[in-house]
Amino acid sequence: MSDSVESRPGAAAGRKRPGGPFRHVGARGVAGIFLVAALVFAAVGAAAGNVFYLRLGTEALILSGLAMSVDLLLGYTGLLSLGQAMFFGLGAYASAVLLRDYHTGFWGALVLTELLVVPVAVVAGAIAIRARGVYFILITFGLAQVIGKVIYNTRWLGGSDGMVGIPVVHAPFGIFRLDLGNPVSFFLLVLAIVAVLYVALGYLMNTPFGRTLGAIRSNESRVRYLGFDPWRYKLAAYVLAGMLAAFSGALYPMLRGFVSPELMSFSMSADAVIMVILGGVGTLIGPIYGSVILIGLKTLISGWTEHHQIAIGIIFMLAVIFMPRGLIGLVARRASRVVRPEADQ
Amino acid sequence: MTATDPILDIAELGVWFGGLAAVSDLSLSVARGSVTSVIGPNGAGKSTLFNLISGAVAANSGRVVFEGNDVTGWPAQRINRAGLARSFQITNLFPDLEVAENLRLAAQVLEPAGRGLFPPRRSRRALAKMRSLLERFGLEAKAEELAGYLSHGEQRRLEVAMTLASEPRLLLLDEPTQGMSHGDTRDTAALIRELSSELTVLLIEHDIDLVMDLSDWIVVMHQGRKLAEGPPEVVHADPAVRRAYFGEADSHA
Repeated sequence: MSDSVESRPGAAAGRKRPGGPFRHVGARGVAGIFLVAALVFAAVGAAAGNVFYLRLGTEALILSGLAMSVDLLLGYTGLLSLGQAMFFGLGAYASAVLLRDYHTGFWGALVLTELLVVPVAVVAGAIAIRARGVYFILITFGLAQVIGKVIYNTRWLGGSDGMVGIPVVHAPFGIFRLDLGNPVSFFLLVLAIVAVLYVALGYLMNTPFGRTLGAIRSNESRVRYLGFDPWRYKLAAYVLAGMLAAFSGALYPMLRGFVSPELMSFSMSADAVIMVILGGVGTLIGPIYGSVILIGLKTLISGWTEHHQIAIGIIFMLAVIFMPRGLIGLVARRASRVVRPEADQ
Repeated sequence: MTATDPILDIAELGVWFGGLAAVSDLSLSVARGSVTSVIGPNGAGKSTLFNLISGAVAANSGRVVFEGNDVTGWPAQRINRAGLARSFQITNLFPDLEVAENLRLAAQVLEPAGRGLFPPRRSRRALAKMRSLLERFGLEAKAEELAGYLSHGEQRRLEVAMTLASEPRLLLLDEPTQGMSHGDTRDTAALIRELSSELTVLLIEHDIDLVMDLSDWIVVMHQGRKLAEGPPEVVHADPAVRRAYFGEADSHA
């Protein structure tokens, strides 16, 4: 009677899902490789004194936080957001204003940005999560367009030009402080932040809370009959994803010294989704790879031709056709077979 | 009839779907510890009745009282937490999650909410429940398979196992033997008999022999209304029931 499987949408391609609920642990080796590669990149960049590539690498890492927030929604909860750059942009603008006009410093900018973004995420989430499926997608898209246009038309925030002159800050850590004007220091700091976020999200997605999100992705209506309100869980995931995207966004002006409406544009939101799909949906490490790959491709191809969007589009289509489970789906299938969820069986 | 110690009391329950009364003016009570079956031809409103009781569909009139609490209009998750679990006529699992994970999810409600942010192994009660259900339903060997890849009979078993995970006091089983082989049906009947010593069962079932054999009380529905009710032998002998159900709808039996 196993033919009943064929009629079941959402069933994974394999008989057992690679890595089971421990998917992110299955990708642990892939994460280790990334860390080593990033450290080598930093060492080579430092030795060569190549500020351009170090800053580009830092930007890719910052964007990987945005990509992970999309994965949290898409890969773990089953919600596609086409407006996640709204939170990235809000974080970037909040941080820019706080750093330039209120001189809050590194930690002040990050903490206050989060405090500002949480209520926005709760309200936006309460609106978006009332809708399902394609309507959710459209609402996330619409909200991002509205907020983006409001900022675009606000002279105080620099209008279409954005804001420039964000001061270079130090990141104080107890007895020592990191000079973020130094591209190597900044790269390593963001690498550490991304590593911490990856581990923390991996932990959270394996708790009963995180796994309930997986249940919602698999069969939302059934969750109610297990005594859990899917709406609350989806809202929690949405707010968490908003906070994560805003946190990443808050690092952006510290790196580039400016913010622009482009940061919350649709193409930014779409890029984040592309990063997740290229890297591997529902893997957390995939989006980090996806971010580096997309930023790398854009830089590489725009060096050859002005029409780099066409090339990116073709590459994306080929990737979806030939590696539907993303880069990590290709490589981590074998790696994840080793790691079984004995820990909780 | 009014049960002496009703666990569930339904009064004048009704729901309309676009002018069509799916259930109307339905009153019944379920005695604690009993196996009560709801029978009737297809379209009689049996599954709609389950949807009304379990909070899947909001009633237009009447009320549902569970263990003395008026649960009419409660959201499904609150009704589940109150101790009333249901299965589904069409298998309703988490197809791309493992069998064990399906059961662990269903048992997580036994744990305080705060455990939700710790690793699953801290939720000892939920894990113990998961293991005991895997064993009781003979699913241990399939624990790590994706639920969507089980055979139909295994999926039906998992469906029932999941409803037990929350340790309900009232269990609504919607055609648990639907599509099952003869052997599996017999096993399920034995299971329901066994369960009736632990909890109250409200059953929708088309297998008339099974219903007659298992039930303490039978409610016959026809066109959204209660046609008759009583102990099995009384219902079986009722001429109105024979006309509406046994006579013309033999193919469903």
